[in-house]
Amino acid sequence: MSTPLLTRLRDEFGAVRAALPANVIAAAARQEALERLCALGLPATREENWRYANLRVLERARFTPAAAEAAMPALPEPLSGFARYVFVDAELRAQAPAPPGVTVRSLRAPGAPTNGWRFGSDLPETRLALLNETFATDAASIEVRAGADAPGIELVFVAATGAQNGASYPRVRLALASGARLTVVERHLGAADAQSLVNSAVRVELAPNAQLTHYRLQHGGARAAWFDTLTAELAEAARYDLLAVSAGALAARSTVHARLLGAGAELTLSAAALGEGQQTHDMYALSEHRAPRTRTLETFRGIASGRARVAFNGKITVGENAPGTDSRQSLRGLLDGAEAEVDLRPQLEIYTDEVRCSHGATAGKLDENMLFYLLSRGLAPEVAQHLLKWAFLEDVIARIALPDLRRQIELALIGQMSEAATLKELL
Amino acid sequence: MLTIKNLHAAVDGKEILKGLELEVPAGEVHAVMGPNGSGKSTLAHVLAGRPGYTITSGAVHFKGRDLLALAPEERAREGLFLGFQYPVEIPGVNNVYLLKAAVNAARKHHGLPEVDAFEFLTLVREKMRLMRMDESMLSRGVNEGFSGGEKKRNEILQMLVLEPALAVLDETDSGLDIDALKVVAHGVNTLRAANRSMVLVTHYQRLLEYIVPDRVHVLIKGRIVRSGDRTLALELEQRGYDWLMDEAA
Repeated sequence: MSTPLLTRLRDEFGAVRAALPANVIAAAARQEALERLCALGLPATREENWRYANLRVLERARFTPAAAEAAMPALPEPLSGFARYVFVDAELRAQAPAPPGVTVRSLRAPGAPTNGWRFGSDLPETRLALLNETFATDAASIEVRAGADAPGIELVFVAATGAQNGASYPRVRLALASGARLTVVERHLGAADAQSLVNSAVRVELAPNAQLTHYRLQHGGARAAWFDTLTAELAEAARYDLLAVSAGALAARSTVHARLLGAGAELTLSAAALGEGQQTHDMYALSEHRAPRTRTLETFRGIASGRARVAFNGKITVGENAPGTDSRQSLRGLLDGAEAEVDLRPQLEIYTDEVRCSHGATAGKLDENMLFYLLSRGLAPEVAQHLLKWAFLEDVIARIALPDLRRQIELALIGQMSEAATLKELL
Repeated sequence: MLTIKNLHAAVDGKEILKGLELEVPAGEVHAVMGPNGSGKSTLAHVLAGRPGYTITSGAVHFKGRDLLALAPEERAREGLFLGFQYPVEIPGVNNVYLLKAAVNAARKHHGLPEVDAFEFLTLVREKMRLMRMDESMLSRGVNEGFSGGEKKRNEILQMLVLEPALAVLDETDSGLDIDALKVVAHGVNTLRAANRSMVLVTHYQRLLEYIVPDRVHVLIKGRIVRSGDRTLALELEQRGYDWLMDEAA
């Protein structure tokens, strides 16, 4: 990455550093994050694990946090039983009472502890979290006490400001104590035509036997750039179900670094991406098995239409101290258009015996036999095509256990795919 | 209902149908029989408009219209139904949704309003009982995880719901045990009507014991070489196809 860009990054930080809240991240920690980021350099497409991301958007972006003055935009219907927290340009604007057993704190709020948490992954692929750490203006810290079976939390992040006026830095820590359970719905929305830059960092900590179900929906504005970095640590017999849908933004990149540190820990990563027009959806996921009998179940379904590019790079490593590991990867891409691109990369590194690992990756066009079958029943070609695309994503979408949420996502995806009203009858 | 004149069709530059002639009047059930590779499935696919076939000459009229000028979905909406030899599995597309979308596509084409959801389900359930299909299949993906016999029953179910003017059933009997064959035949028989025609494409005579055809045609090397009443099928059962091969040459 060009030095002028890093110089600008330093200058922008220098101009606002005094105003950045120390409760969220201490000034020294910000400086340290910036130094590390500058030493590593911003990601570049010449790096293997950034090859398919659209990084040009970083060059024209302004890194200074947005002023968070935007009005509250329209929000999706609330999910029943979920406490909703709304962040506009990453600052908490609206909140519900926290459910029993759960503490939700904005670190920006008066009286918040001054020792803001750090991201906690040194993987070079996660280094955009350092950018978040440099500039973050607020951070949500969500803790669930031991044994609590908490109802759901909904986090809605709205990027309302254009990138020329500043970026937004959503920052979330989810910490579940032993045996705690929680479902989190995390949505990222954008003002329709704001060319916003979002750079989010999420840290997940799961104590023994904790269970987190985490739905992440990226519905950024059509011209937005969305970068996201998530790290998760799973202790013994912890279970993390992460389901991510990437549908919005012009350029989206999501990086996941999961560490299965305790015996019997389980990660289920299900991701779907729908790329249209000139969109890029890129995801890199590393799952490290570092304890016996750990499990990763990874499913990706991506569709690229028009000139869109959809990429998924899934790496699973099984360390020598992780016998009995079970990992499965199923990656599929669907190409719809001569200029569309799908890049799937399953990677497996095994340093122990007695493991069961399988992976499969296929990319192809719509199945001609399926298409003809639907036409032979009288369906219009565009309806048949949309139906098959829909069916392709269903492998992931059908795993959404909340009917209301699933319906919202299905309607949004259908709306994005087509105007064909007949498809709505599917639901 | 269906008139085929001097039909020539090729796949990958190889001519499969070589001057096929067939006339199926309204209200009649015709069987097209022939050995493997004679062009039976090609005929069924060409009628339904499957891509990949080149019509080099000839004409097909369906209800007085030029069938070959219509796109596959238009043929379906006009009332042509193809029962597939190998029905496709489409996971993620719900059976009942497909049925409803198919019915509504035809209704819209004919200027009719969409079906009432409740009445439609009642109708579908009734037809499912007729086909001895479990209702749970409705909520499953199209043919997803169905056995061979279940797929064929599902084809007939679709036909019963769509009530086509012309049904072309491509080897619907293949892979069916005798009980399933009877169920399928019963389904087909309930749809026989004065304003409806059927073309049964089959290799064996067995199906015709349960669905008695008005006419039997023998297709060999891309042409109809002999036509007759149902006794022709019985003759084929006894003598095989060899004795007709010379006539095709």
